[in-house]
Formats: sequence, C-alpha cells, structure tokens
Amino acid sequence: MALNQYSGISPKGDLLLLQMLSAKLYNISFLHINSTRAGGGVAEILQRMIPIIVELGINARWEVIEGDSRFFDITKKIHNALQGRLETITDDMWQYHYEVNRRNVERLNLEEDAVLIHDPQPAPLIEFRKDGRWIWRCHIDLSNPQQEVSDYLCRYGEKYDAAIFSVAKFARAMAIDEFIIPPSIDPISEKNRELTDEEINETL
Amino acid sequence: MGEIVEPFEFKQCISILKSTGKRAKNLRELRDVIATVSDECIFHHTCQYFLKGHILEYTSDFAHWAGESLEEKALAEQLSNIDPYDFKNIGDLRKELLGVIDDYLKRFPEPREAMPGDEFFFNETVTLIFPIGIRARNLAEFLTAIKYVDSGSIYYHFYEARIRLGGGIDDFSRWIEDAFDKKELAERIKAIDPFMHNTEGIREHVVEAIEEEVRKDMEVI
Repeated sequence: MALNQYSGISPKGDLLLLQMLSAKLYNISFLHINSTRAGGGVAEILQRMIPIIVELGINARWEVIEGDSRFFDITKKIHNALQGRLETITDDMWQYHYEVNRRNVERLNLEEDAVLIHDPQPAPLIEFRKDGRWIWRCHIDLSNPQQEVSDYLCRYGEKYDAAIFSVAKFARAMAIDEFIIPPSIDPISEKNRELTDEEINETL
Repeated sequence: MGEIVEPFEFKQCISILKSTGKRAKNLRELRDVIATVSDECIFHHTCQYFLKGHILEYTSDFAHWAGESLEEKALAEQLSNIDPYDFKNIGDLRKELLGVIDDYLKRFPEPREAMPGDEFFFNETVTLIFPIGIRARNLAEFLTAIKYVDSGSIYYHFYEARIRLGGGIDDFSRWIEDAFDKKELAERIKAIDPFMHNTEGIREHVVEAIEEEVRKDMEVI
C-alpha cells in the first residue's frame, strides 16, 4: 500500500487516523479541480495525493479547468495582486474569469460528494454547485494582498462550505469555517528525498 | 508484580487548526479579543500550547506572544505563572488572563505594537481523539509502548488528562496506582513538572522511572 511507504517517516498516529477516517468515508466521491496538470506546487501535491486517497478507498478524481491565454493572463494578475503586487483587475477581466469557468462547467461533472477547488483560477465554479460539500483551498501567500482583489475573490470564497489556508495570517474575515493546514511536502517524492554522497559530490 | 486490573489503552489526539478570523496587534486588542473569543479558542492557546513544540519558559501562546513579539518580558512571566490546567472551567481561566493583562495595562498603559505580520492570530481546533491500537497489560509492555507512541499520545495522557481528571493527575500515574498499587512510582510520575519539559522530556522521565521499577521487579536477590 502506498501509505506504507510513509511508515517510519510520518507520525504513526497520522497514518492510523488517515486509515480510520477513510474507513468512515469509504466510497464517497471526491473531486479536486485546479488549473494545470503539471508545473507548480498544486499539481505536484495532487500527483502524489490523489493515488493515496484512491488507495484509501475514496473515489477521488482530479480535473483541470481549461482557458485561453487571456484567461491565464488575468489569473496571473490576480495571483500577483494577492501576493501584494499592484495590478489592475477591471470588471471586464473579472467577468471573463467567471465566463471561462462557466464554459468549463459544460465539460466537467461537478456532482460529487465533496469538491476541493484549488486557488483562484477555478474559484467561480462554486456558482455552479448542485450538491455536495465544497471547499476552497488557497495556496497563495495572502499576508499582504491588494485589498480589493482579495475582497472580490472572497465573494466567491464565502459561498463555499469551508476554506483552507496555509498559515493563520493568510485567513480572511469570511463567515465560513477556515482551516489552517500547512502545505504538503512529500518526504518520499523524488524532489525531497535524501541525496546520496555521490550525488552531492557530483553537483558540488 | 500485582494482578492487572485493567490494561492501559493508549490514545492520541490530533488537532486541526481553525482560524477565528480575529487578530490583535497590541496588548489592548489582545485583551479585548480574549474577553470575547470562544472557550475553544482560549483552550487552544493555553492548554494545547503543550501539544506544540513550545518554548519552555512560557505556558501559553499569549505568554509566548507577549514575550517574543511584544518583548514585554515581565508580562510574559506573569502570564506564564498561570497554570492552565488549574482551573475548573475556561471562564475562570479567561478571568485570570484578563486580570493579569488589566493589571499590567494599569501600570504600563502604552505597551508596544507587534511588527506587521507578527500580530496574534486567534485560532481554535477540531481535536480528534482516537485509540491507537496499543494496550499494555504490565509495566514491561507499558515501557515498550511509551517509547513507541507519538508525542500526541504523551500529550493526551499527561497534559490533557489533567483537565479530564483534575487535581494535577495524569493517566499514567493513575493507572500505575490503580492497577498495581505502586504508590511511590505513581507519585514519582505525578511529580514530573509539566511546565519544565516538552512532551519528549516527559516521555524520557516516565521511561526512566518505569525502567527502574521494572528492573527492581526483575531482580530476585
């Protein structure tokens, strides 16, 4: 079992609790949506996490929203503004952000028991919720955001059942449950494994 | 070794942090939020301080913040004199915290502000308590188990037990006294100062005490 690979690395209680919780949640459907299959931290997390969740007996799926270069230019600006850079996001841009998400709804099946939306790109999908529990996970540093951009995004955020932020100071004043969960760093992924002396010497 | 009454069942708690959305950038704001936040929030920042890798000179997140972020060392010391497990309910603990801060504000009405980003963020937790599938029927098994369990288990049985049982009693010493009538050993474990050690330090001291006892029990001459 993939989870066994973490024995001796992750705390024993954490591994046991994951098994106990997954037994309770056995067979539920759980959809993750972000904006890219490869490149960036979120894709890296999902590549590792989805197979583990599936192995625990949960019907996890991972979907990616599609958009054109205009959409991703806008979401890049939103991302930068949330990290404190001065950007102008016009009403037209917000409207296009929403519109691209609306178009994605035509090709995505959103009827799942639980849906976890990653970051601002697919955040407007909440407007098309039919059923299930919806959670928004913001992976971005929100310690010093451009306020109006953060406020606009929180209008979507507040429609979710809960939100997840990486540290307490990133949490926003929203009337929903806001959980604080540090980013996942997979200790056995290729990127994080211990290097051999040979590899270190070769690089130095 | 005496007859076993009841095996010791190891449990553990894991907490998932939840933001209240409230923050304080100075002592007055801290005081005002402490006065109104939920009991769960006060519990997290005081009793659950020991679930984290904490600084030994403090006994709560409030004392920690006053000392490290506001650099109000005298206040931090006074807040650290509060034993969060010594109160029958969170309401009384809250009153004590407010009393200490109010006294301090009377003497120093203009305390400094925290640096931006270093404000106090008020959180709560969803705490899950679960058996970890390890039982000890005698002291030798207990010794093996306590070396093996996660620190969240030590926290549950040594710190959190003080709230459940009251009177500064932990699960370990209670079981040892109830199951084996080993009063001296129970007293030795009970006497380990929860505020002078982190969970790993507590583990070391319990192991040391049990190891000595098991050795004594083994020796026939």
